[in-house]
Amino acid sequence: MIEVDQLSKVYGSTAAIKAVSFRVEPGEILGFLGPNGAGKTTTMRILTGYLPATSGTARIAGKDVHTDSMAVRQSIGYLPETPPLYREMTVEGFLSFVARIKGVSAGDRAMKVASAIERCNLKEKRKLIIRKLSKGFRQRVGIAQAIVHNPPVIVLDEPTVGLDPRQIIEVRNLIKSLAGEHTIILSTHILPEVSMTCDRIAIINRGEIIATDSPEHLVERLTGQGGYQIELHGEEAFCIAVLRSVPGVVKVEVISAEGESLAEGHRRFQVTTGAGVDEAVGSAIAATVVNQGIGLFELSRSRASLEDVFINLTMQEPEASASDAIANVIPDSATGPIETTDAATEPKEAIDAEEAEIESEETEETEEASS
Amino acid sequence: MKTFFGNLLAIYRRELQSYFTSPFAYVIAAVFWLIGGLFLVTILLSPNGLIAQVSIADQQGISAQSYDVPYEFLKIYLNLLGSLAMFVLPMLSMGLYAEERKQGTLELLATSPLTNWVVALGKLLGVVTFFSAMLLPLMICELVAFSSSQPVFPQAVFWLGHAGLMLLAASVLALGMFISSLSESTVLAAVMTFGLVLLLWVVDAISSLPGPVGEAIGHLSLLTHFTDFTQGIFDTSGLILFLSYIILGLFLTAQSIDTLRFQRS
Repeated sequence: MIEVDQLSKVYGSTAAIKAVSFRVEPGEILGFLGPNGAGKTTTMRILTGYLPATSGTARIAGKDVHTDSMAVRQSIGYLPETPPLYREMTVEGFLSFVARIKGVSAGDRAMKVASAIERCNLKEKRKLIIRKLSKGFRQRVGIAQAIVHNPPVIVLDEPTVGLDPRQIIEVRNLIKSLAGEHTIILSTHILPEVSMTCDRIAIINRGEIIATDSPEHLVERLTGQGGYQIELHGEEAFCIAVLRSVPGVVKVEVISAEGESLAEGHRRFQVTTGAGVDEAVGSAIAATVVNQGIGLFELSRSRASLEDVFINLTMQEPEASASDAIANVIPDSATGPIETTDAATEPKEAIDAEEAEIESEETEETEEASS
Repeated sequence: MKTFFGNLLAIYRRELQSYFTSPFAYVIAAVFWLIGGLFLVTILLSPNGLIAQVSIADQQGISAQSYDVPYEFLKIYLNLLGSLAMFVLPMLSMGLYAEERKQGTLELLATSPLTNWVVALGKLLGVVTFFSAMLLPLMICELVAFSSSQPVFPQAVFWLGHAGLMLLAASVLALGMFISSLSESTVLAAVMTFGLVLLLWVVDAISSLPGPVGEAIGHLSLLTHFTDFTQGIFDTSGLILFLSYIILGLFLTAQSIDTLRFQRS
């Protein structure tokens, strides 16, 4: 539905985007993820025909966005970063105006406006002047204007920015309900948003696409080698030797716990396991450690969250090419300190329990034992 | 063609609606009516107004018939209204694009299947319509005041003069629209448009100088041609000049929006 090929945009001497290429299949939601200033808005503006590209092509439903601009504009609904609203108009009047300039015929207009109002839950606000609406409702009117002409492609630039959590959920549900019928690109710098709403993610940084994949695959690709974090009571060299002896363990590192005082004689280790054997290694480690008479206080699986993936990918040196970027992050990918703990002897129990709750999404499993 | 007029009508209606729902536009209109009405009364009824002058002439034995009050009135009044409009027009045109840029709605227009020309033309028609709505009550006042005058009120001069005023306003608004498209600040747009109006006055002053320079500039002066219209002189060169300014304003606006999109960083 959307084909972007080697798209570049140069402002003066700085390149806003460099050779961006991706495809979006019909009915799919593509999340465009990147830090601020990465080139998300520029790409979207090129797609919607607001800006011309310096080089490269973008096609929507087979039509070039530049040479066939008028036809493309008709088949696109676009919500810019700030919703483009005429504040002195009523919701209904505004949507009717947008339907008109998007080329909806007079006969269909009332029906399409009513359906957009319905879908965006604006029914009781439709006679109100936009100026008097709250931010959440304005955002919904913004989405309504993007879908009012029932376009096959919808482009949403940061649709949830500045909304309160309840409104964010509403907007996300609204976006999800649009998928299937419409092909959607949405940009965001909020990670849970893409993992919750999108079928595929394109991560963009410094104007380059550095990864395109489904959220699950992205995480998997970067955490092919899993790992565990372990807190033991015992002599360091001995502990390392014991951990190394467990089949499947590739690497053992001592973690210097920053800002966290471990109890006397306790040490923390990061264990990296080989690809594919991750699942079984946890219980093997626990069994071996306990058999060797080492005190086991904590064993938690560390797995990169989407957040780590994102940070790792976007923190790369600018020279690193896309494939390098993936390769480089693998060794570090498991270092994100994600833990839940029993820590029976530790005074921090309560705090840790809280953290555990917060991070429970990211933690896969926790195994515990005590000597 | 059908979509062209459909789009034009949509832009025009929205623009017009924004004036009629804006308190600021009503304030401008109210001030315009107040001052315009004041001019009307002063020219006719003040101690050295037209009627007083005629009665003095009458007392001195000069036939009042030779003094065409309605015609003289129109000439003076239309020129005054023209000057008053020069102050009002920058305030009408200042928001045409600056407001769209500020609110981000330009992005909506620019990503809709509309050409820049349709948008500019629709907006210009909208603001010209609002200005004519401002002019209408004053025209009715004039018609009422001279409904039974002797000599008869010169209908042709009346319509021609006001048509000239509309053309002058449309030219200034078209250029003001271009200026408005250059900036996101309505205040800046108003100030710059007012600067342009001052320039028009300067051009008009130069055109009254004798010699080839004055004559050449005089051909380009909007106010000089407007004065012709107020005197009941219809000149196609004047009409063409006004239309040229309007088209120039539309063209510059369309180009400026295009440039904005091409160079935006």
